Amino acid sequence: MNPPNTGAIPLHSVESDEWPRPRRLRIVLWTALVVLLLAAQTLLVVLAFHYRSSRTQESVEANAAAASGELAQLLAKDLQAMLGMPGVGASPTAWRTRAEQLLVARPELLRFERRDAALKIVDAVDTRARAPLFAQVARDGVQVDTDLACAASQRRGGPTYSQSFFVPQSDGMGLEVMDLCIAEREGDHVVGFLIASYALSGLLDQLSVQALAPGHDLSFIEADGTRLAHGRMHVGAGVYHASRMIDLPGTAMQLRVDSAATPPSLVPDLVTGLVIGLSLTLFGVVVLLARDVRKRARAEGALADALAFRKAMEDSVVTGLRARDLQGRTTYVNPAFCAMVGFGPDELVDHNPPPYWPPEQLAEYQQRQDARLASAPGAHSREAFETTFVRKSGERFPAMVFEAPLLDSAARHTGWMSAVLDLSAQRRVEEVSRQQQDRLQATARLATAGEMASLLSHELNQPLSAIAAYATGTLNMMDAQARGEPPEPELWPLLHEAARRIAEQAERAGRVIKSVHDFVRRREHAREAVSADLLIDAVLPLVRLQARKSGTRIELELGAPAPRVVCDRAMVEQVLLNLTRNGIQAMQAVASGSEPVLTLRVQQTHPQWVRVSIEDRGPGVDDEVARQLFTPFFTTRSDGMGLGLSVCRTIVEQHGGALEFVNLRDANGVVCGAEFRFTLPAALTR
Amino acid sequence: MSISLPAELGLPMVYLVDDEDVVRDAVAWLLRSRRLLSQGHPSAEAFEVALGADPAVVPGEWPTSPSCLLLDLRMSGMSGLALFERLNDRGLTQAMPVIFLTGHGDVPTAVAAVKRGAFDFVEKPFSNNALVDRIEQALSASAATIVARRQRALRLRGLNELSEREQEVMALIAQGLPNKLIADTLSISTRTVEVHRARIFDKLGVASAVELANLLHATRG
Repeated sequence: MNPPNTGAIPLHSVESDEWPRPRRLRIVLWTALVVLLLAAQTLLVVLAFHYRSSRTQESVEANAAAASGELAQLLAKDLQAMLGMPGVGASPTAWRTRAEQLLVARPELLRFERRDAALKIVDAVDTRARAPLFAQVARDGVQVDTDLACAASQRRGGPTYSQSFFVPQSDGMGLEVMDLCIAEREGDHVVGFLIASYALSGLLDQLSVQALAPGHDLSFIEADGTRLAHGRMHVGAGVYHASRMIDLPGTAMQLRVDSAATPPSLVPDLVTGLVIGLSLTLFGVVVLLARDVRKRARAEGALADALAFRKAMEDSVVTGLRARDLQGRTTYVNPAFCAMVGFGPDELVDHNPPPYWPPEQLAEYQQRQDARLASAPGAHSREAFETTFVRKSGERFPAMVFEAPLLDSAARHTGWMSAVLDLSAQRRVEEVSRQQQDRLQATARLATAGEMASLLSHELNQPLSAIAAYATGTLNMMDAQARGEPPEPELWPLLHEAARRIAEQAERAGRVIKSVHDFVRRREHAREAVSADLLIDAVLPLVRLQARKSGTRIELELGAPAPRVVCDRAMVEQVLLNLTRNGIQAMQAVASGSEPVLTLRVQQTHPQWVRVSIEDRGPGVDDEVARQLFTPFFTTRSDGMGLGLSVCRTIVEQHGGALEFVNLRDANGVVCGAEFRFTLPAALTR
Repeated sequence: MSISLPAELGLPMVYLVDDEDVVRDAVAWLLRSRRLLSQGHPSAEAFEVALGADPAVVPGEWPTSPSCLLLDLRMSGMSGLALFERLNDRGLTQAMPVIFLTGHGDVPTAVAAVKRGAFDFVEKPFSNNALVDRIEQALSASAATIVARRQRALRLRGLNELSEREQEVMALIAQGLPNKLIADTLSISTRTVEVHRARIFDKLGVASAVELANLLHATRG
C-alpha cells in the first residue's frame, strides 16, 4: 500500500519506549484478523463443497443399494423360472418350448443348455433377439468356467453361477457372459445339468433403477477393478460412485454406480457464489477499513511530529514565551521564560498576579494588564512594551514584552501570547560602552594636554638652546681674552654676530608664547548664543544612561521657551555632565528610602543671567567636605581625580558666572539633598 | 680647560648633525669659542652623502684624526638613532664617539642608544660648557682609539717581518714554554733560541712573553 511515513522514523528511534509496542500490537491484531477471515471463508467454502458432495454421494449410495436389491430379485426370479422347467425326463420339445418362452420373457438370458451327467450338451436353445452366442467360437473353447460351476453345483446340490467370461461376437465386439448351472438330481445321483447364460450387460439393462435415476452409470466390476459390463448409459464422471458386492453362489461381483455429477465447481454454484461474493465484499470492507486506519495513524504521526517539532522549538528559543487566558491567568510558560524569571512552571501557571511582578508596582501592573485584557484582539495585533520583572532571587530586570492575541481553532479569542526578552544583558553592554567612552574621552583630553606640552617644550627648546649657546660662547671668548690667550682675529664682529642672534632667538621664543596665548583666546571666541534646552538635550542621552543604571528618574524644568545663554557649548556641556554625574553618584552612594530623582532646572533669574540648577536627593554635602569642595585634586571618591568641580568652576568663571551649592532641607530641617547651580550670561533678546 | 691631544694625529673634528639650522649654528659658534673645528650637516642623509664622497672613509681605519659626532635624536627624515645604527653596522663609530642631543621626552630612547654603544646623551636645553667638556672627552677617547689602532698596525707589520723560524719560536714562547724546552722541541741550541727571542721582542716592540701573548691574542681577535 502506501510507504511508511519516513518522517516519523527518527522520532520512533528517539522515543523508543513510547512507540513500538502499540505498533507491534496493531500489526499482530491485523494479521490475526486477516488470518481468521481467510480461515472462516475457506471453511465456509469447504463446508459448502463438502455438503454438496455428500448429498451427491448419498444419492449414489441409495441408487447403488436399490440397484443391488433389484438385481438380486431379478436373479431370484430367473432362478425360480428355470427351476420350473421340464426336467430330464421331459420331452425335448416341451423343454425347448419352455426355454424359448423364457428367453423371450427374460431378455437378459441368452441361451439354455441341457447337458447329461457327463456334461455333454444334449440340447441348446439360443435367444432369438440376437445372433447365437457361440457362433463365433466353439462352446468347447470357453466352458472351463461353466464346467467349474457345474462341478460346484453337483457337489453342493444347488444352482451355481460361474465366473464371468468373455465371448467374442461377430460384430467385432464381445460379450461378458456368466453361466448358471443347475444340477438335476434323481435321488442322490446327478442325472443332468441345466445351464443358462446371462449377458452381464443385459442384466444391467433390466434394472429399472436406470430409468429411475438418470445420470447414473451402472456397471459390473471384477475384484481387481476391471469393468466387465456397462449399462446402457456411459455417463459416469468417476467422481461420485458407490459399489455393492453381489454375492452369488459360486461367484461374486461388484455392482458399481457412477454418478454423472462432476465435483462442485466454484462459478456456477449459487451457494458457493453467494459465500464467495460475501467474502469478497467483507475483504473489500476490511481493506477499506485498514486504509482508513492507516490514514488515521499517519495523521496521528504527523500530529505527533508537529507537536514534537513545536516543543523543540519552544524549548530551544531563548525568547521567553508566556500564554495568558482572558482572566490574566498564566496558562503556559516555556523553559526560557522559567530560566529568565527563575520560577518553575508550577509556580507560574495558574497564578494571578504572577510572582515575577515587582511587589511595589503590583497595582500599576494590574491596571495595565486589565486595560490590555479589556481591549479587542484586533486593536493591537503585535504590541511591544518595556517593563520590569523580578527574578526569584529578588533581582529586578528590564524586559521587552511582545503581545499577540491567542486564537483557538474556531478563531475565538482565548487569551494572549507574549514573547519576553531579557534586556539586562543589553543594558549591561550599554553601560560598559558608556564607561569606555567616558574613559576614552578622559584619556583623549590627557593625551591632548601631553602633546601640547611636548610641542611647547620643543618649540621653546630650540631658541632657548641657541641663546644659551651663543651666550656661553661669547663668555668663553671674553674669558679667553681676559686670560690673555692669543686673540681671535675678528673678535668684535664675532661678538656682535652672537648678540644679534641672541636677540633673534629671544624674539622667536616670544612668538611661541604668543601663539599659545592666541590659541587660548580663540576658545573665548567660540562662544555663541544657544537655547538652554539644546545644551541639556546634548548631554541628556549620557545622563539617562547613567540614570537608568542606578534607577534614577530625571526631571526637567526648562521653562517655555527655554532661556538662551551665551557660552562655549562644549565647555558648558562638560560642566553639566560633571554635575549630573556627581548628583547621581551621590544618590547611589546612600541607600535612602526615597526614590532617586535628579532635577535639572533652568531659570532666568536676572535680565543678564540664567541660572542652571542640578538638584539631587542624596545625603547633601557636609561642612568638612564643603570647605575643600572646589580645591583641585580633592575628592571623596577612590576613583576620582578631584578635578571635576574645580574645572567646572574655572569654566563657569571664564564665562563670567559663578558656581555654588546649597544643601536642601525638608520641613524638619533635615538635609534631603544638594543643589549645585551656576550662572551663565543670558543672550540679549532681539 | 681644554685638553691636550697628541699633535701627530692632526686637528680634531666635531661632526654636527641637526635639522635645526639655529641650533647647528649656535653650537658651531660655541665650539669655535673653545677653539674646536666643527662641520655641520642638516640631516642624517646629508651626513651619509658627505661620508660617501670622502675616499678616506674606510671601516676600521677612518677617522685618522680625533673625531666626534653630535647627533640630534629626533629629526625629520632618517632619525638620529637610525643613522647611529647604520654607522655602527659599518664599524665607523669605533674611533668616532657619538653624543646624542635629545629633546623633551626622548630620554628613554637616548638611554637605550647609550646601551648600544653611544658615548653619551645630552638633554636640550643643554648646559653649554658641560656639553663642550663632554665633546672633548669624546675626542680624547677617539684619539686613544686611533693611537691603539696605529700601534696594532705597527705590530702587525712586525709580525709579518718575522722569519719562518722566528714565527715557530714565537708560537712556542706564546705558549709559555721555557727556552730549554723550545730548543729541545725545535732541535736547536738554547743559545740560538735566546737570539731568536731577543730579535722577536725587538721587532714586535714587546718586553715580555706575556705582552707577546696579549699582542697575538689581540691581532687574532
